[in-house]
Amino acid sequence: MRSLLFWIAVGLMVFVFVFPVLWIYVTALKAPDDIFSDNPFVFSPTFENFDYLINVRPAFGELFNSMILSVGSTIVVMLISIPAAYSFARFNTGRGHILFITISTRMFPGVVAAIPFFLLFRNLGLLDTHLGLILLYTYFNMSFATFLLYGFFREIPESLEHAAMLDGYDRITILRRIVFPLIKPGIAITTMFCLIWSWNEFLFAFLFTRRIARTISVGQSTFWGSVEIQWGPMAALMCVAVLPTLLAAWIMQKHVVRGLTFGAVKG
Amino acid sequence: MSATPKAKLFEDDRFMKWLLIGPLVVFLLAFMVYPTLYSLYMSFTDYVMKGDPNFVGLDNYRWVLSDKAFWEALGRTVYVLVLCIAIELVVGMALALLLNRNFRGQGIVRGLCFIPLLVSPLSMSLMWNYILHIQFGVVNTVLGWLGIEAVPFLSTPSMALNTIVFITVWQWLPFSVFVLLAGLKGMPRDQFEAAQIDGASSIRTFFRLTLPLLKPLIIIIVLLRVMWLMRLFDPLYGTTRGGLNTELLDWMIYRVSFVFFDIGQGAAYALFALYLTLIVGALLFKQLIKAMDGR
Repeated sequence: MRSLLFWIAVGLMVFVFVFPVLWIYVTALKAPDDIFSDNPFVFSPTFENFDYLINVRPAFGELFNSMILSVGSTIVVMLISIPAAYSFARFNTGRGHILFITISTRMFPGVVAAIPFFLLFRNLGLLDTHLGLILLYTYFNMSFATFLLYGFFREIPESLEHAAMLDGYDRITILRRIVFPLIKPGIAITTMFCLIWSWNEFLFAFLFTRRIARTISVGQSTFWGSVEIQWGPMAALMCVAVLPTLLAAWIMQKHVVRGLTFGAVKG
Repeated sequence: MSATPKAKLFEDDRFMKWLLIGPLVVFLLAFMVYPTLYSLYMSFTDYVMKGDPNFVGLDNYRWVLSDKAFWEALGRTVYVLVLCIAIELVVGMALALLLNRNFRGQGIVRGLCFIPLLVSPLSMSLMWNYILHIQFGVVNTVLGWLGIEAVPFLSTPSMALNTIVFITVWQWLPFSVFVLLAGLKGMPRDQFEAAQIDGASSIRTFFRLTLPLLKPLIIIIVLLRVMWLMRLFDPLYGTTRGGLNTELLDWMIYRVSFVFFDIGQGAAYALFALYLTLIVGALLFKQLIKAMDGR
């Protein structure tokens, strides 16, 4: 009886979490008439919405831009955040003040940063460029990445490093041979989050791109015209936008149960 | 080991720690201090994206304080903030406890539950808009089959904001679930065994033992969620676009600055919002440091 209740609860939870995502794929396979039909469950699947994205209104450029931006910004974020997080965790650099300032960048209402950067980028010619958005996304993801990595570094006992130091290893060797292998899962999870949040980002992309650097998020919003919403092609583009994140969810679930403690719980 | 001066420098912790943090500090200065100071300057001018900015003193701030729309947007933002975080913590805790056991297929269940957190917020809010549509949304179709009248989820002022809260909670609930689950998995086992031997009830164990141990994580969830919710934009863009009494702070600043191009006034709103979050954030962070070092 208890176990039956358990499975009902789990089933309900999974249904609520997954149904809307599933519905994207259902909608993308519908012809325009079926999208507004009385029975949303009965329809004959068609690929005409995907055909629309390939031949009528190509979306390859947007897909390509999103890939460049998320990979580019993630590399920069990790190069900045890994050393910084180590420094915060091991030396308590800035006694928490700099760490708080770092975290609080994510607190800026997005638009607060958008106004000055819009004017600055306009003068520097960075509007609607990949470089401009990579810089913005680095700023946008840096704080959470540093905070998450800080937690992982905190979980590595300091005594391990001290022992190696007594054995005569220098700092660089210790970092490479002892710290890095232990932090690898943390780096993997953080990289995933950065990739996905840059991939999904909308506000900055919406304000700072027009045509050349337009991302897949902005692409979706273009189907909401002044007259009507083209649900079919929009859903088809959503399928493409959501697909990498579904894969990521699968890869991440194994590590994330152990990983999201921010170093705050020590068992 | 080696004694060259350069290697010595790398052995020195005081040098090392600032070297490691250097790039971050440079980036922070460029990307945080600059916009803040620039916004501050702009908030004293009447700049409208063209011509030269004229100094207008405190006019923009006077306008902000007397603007009814601003206080309404602020009130709504606080409402969304409190409601979302409360639901996410309570339901998230329940789901974390539900998942905190070994069962067959747990990997698949966890993977599926993790999905909302990762899928694009814009895509999902557009999709929810379609799913909850009053005429052709699947939810109202099913309700119609059950003989229930169509519910105007996103087409009436009395419901729209709550629907946006629902969409946001749906998206971010897995974050609380997985953070709390990670906390539950990492708990010291011996204390729980002791409690069991003492014959403490499971409810008592939960409130006396589990909850206090999870306190740092709960503070982290609140801290991060306050910061993220302050900048809620995508769910509005995908649904009501600020109409039907759903205009939140971020949307209002966007509208004033990028639709009306009133940069000066937009900057004043934006800084006001920033100060508010900074104060709340600093208080929470202080609690967090205390909770993390207190054990």
